[in-house]
Amino acid sequence: MTGLCRGFTLSAMRARPAQIVAFGGGGFSTEWGNTLLDDHVLALTGVDHPRVCFLPTASGDADHYVVRFYRAFAAGRCEPSHISLFRRETGVGDPRAHLLEQDLVYVGGGSLVSLLGTWRAHGIDEALREAWQAGVVLCGGSAGSLCWFTHAISAFHEGPPRRLDGLGFLPWSNAVHYEEEAGRRGAFEQAIADGMLPGFGAGDGTALHFVGSELLEVVSSRPNARAHFVCSEDHGGAVERELPVRYLGSPATAVHAGEAIAA
Amino acid sequence: VTPEEGRGASDDPRRILAMGGGGFTMDERTPALDRFVLELTGKPVPKVCFLPTASGDPREQVTRFYERFGDWPCEPSILSLFHLGRDRIDPVEHLLAQEAIYVGGGSMRNMLAIWREHAIDDAMREAWSRGVVIAGLSAGAMCWFDGGISMSGGAPEAVRGLGLLEGSLTVHLDSEPERLHVYCAALLGGELPPGYGADDGAALLFAGSELSECVASRPGARVLRIEPDGAGGVVESELPVRLLPEADAAGGAAELSSSLDVSELRGLRMGRHRWD
Repeated sequence: MTGLCRGFTLSAMRARPAQIVAFGGGGFSTEWGNTLLDDHVLALTGVDHPRVCFLPTASGDADHYVVRFYRAFAAGRCEPSHISLFRRETGVGDPRAHLLEQDLVYVGGGSLVSLLGTWRAHGIDEALREAWQAGVVLCGGSAGSLCWFTHAISAFHEGPPRRLDGLGFLPWSNAVHYEEEAGRRGAFEQAIADGMLPGFGAGDGTALHFVGSELLEVVSSRPNARAHFVCSEDHGGAVERELPVRYLGSPATAVHAGEAIAA
Repeated sequence: VTPEEGRGASDDPRRILAMGGGGFTMDERTPALDRFVLELTGKPVPKVCFLPTASGDPREQVTRFYERFGDWPCEPSILSLFHLGRDRIDPVEHLLAQEAIYVGGGSMRNMLAIWREHAIDDAMREAWSRGVVIAGLSAGAMCWFDGGISMSGGAPEAVRGLGLLEGSLTVHLDSEPERLHVYCAALLGGELPPGYGADDGAALLFAGSELSECVASRPGARVLRIEPDGAGGVVESELPVRLLPEADAAGGAAELSSSLDVSELRGLRMGRHRWD
């Protein structure tokens, strides 16, 4: 009987698809009070009381950000934890083992360059690839979105937006805050016209849901949020195609959600 | 090397002040070491930039930096590699424009990995060779050597540095004695070349690649030369230390602050914390 149960659990675990949900901006980091995106990623785990680990690396493990995570992911509905790579002497002993035990890994925003350097110094990049392939849902916004792609356009530094290499789990390119940041759209299209991989420009409030390396759908926490697919054209230049977006709230709550963002 | 011999090498513009601990980030009462960093520039109003990379650029260290340096004759600034998007500073250009660079403590492994991504390691080497005074404590002191002992991975371990200075360094001899044991094992195992150990409040000043003198912000703060004795052990010899003006006469050890933030986080990890 025990053997049977174990066999069932193993096959159920193997059946978990590799999923990444990349926010163009939103979730508890920037949409306090609007829980639609965060609720959605929790539901994607398919678990009642999912284990959720927050990686605030891109912010330098900012205390206030960690505190906000624990407020948003209260122990009532999930099992929250975080890994601080700046205070290893007091935190989770074995980050790789901890990440593999999760149902959801949530990556915070900040500096993509600093994030990737720090992860590589601790082998977190490889641990996340293992976790992803084992069916742990990976998600995040801003730097926590860009990091999963092969190429990214980031402006989180001095000077104009520039092309950076991410972890390459998703063989596409990505830009975030696509509708909101001046110049982001133009920089993304230009980079793709110049040979960057085709990819996704996601506006605030949208989330790109990938199963394996393919886009399953775009969901949103705001009724009018938009996302685009951009690829190069044979005769030069880039072409942009708007993607269908599924709003996660009911039409009746749309106004309310908007107010929450404004507040 | 005696202080007298060391001063002979002063036509070399390169200066590194490696502190075993102390200074404003550790809430040391006396400003002696911090003031010494400015003095080393020889400028009446030096530009001094603080890099809190190894701690993830926490606000608290930034505040403390301005609290200490804000009233002194200097031009203080911060380089936060986590907030370049907000500050819009070209990090390399900014560093090369300084007269002193002060590097905070924390995770040496993270700091060096982040510096590499932003090409700060090369900028530091360039700034040093141009005569910008380089100062730092803990991770910000060990990083200039071939290696040191860091808690970056949780337990103390040997971590490779930038290699501007030959040899190795271990810090917080007095406040974190567990590092010394690992350091000696690393010397004997050949993981680290021979080097130095420093207490909180003690610092080694290098002129060029030579140790020029050791200074301290309180009586009793030690600097040790530590090397294998050739018979399977290590030999520690205490180096002469000059007490700085403004040193803490009471001789109190540097006090580590245990901030509310840290205790809150520890509470969180233990699952004890309530938010409402």
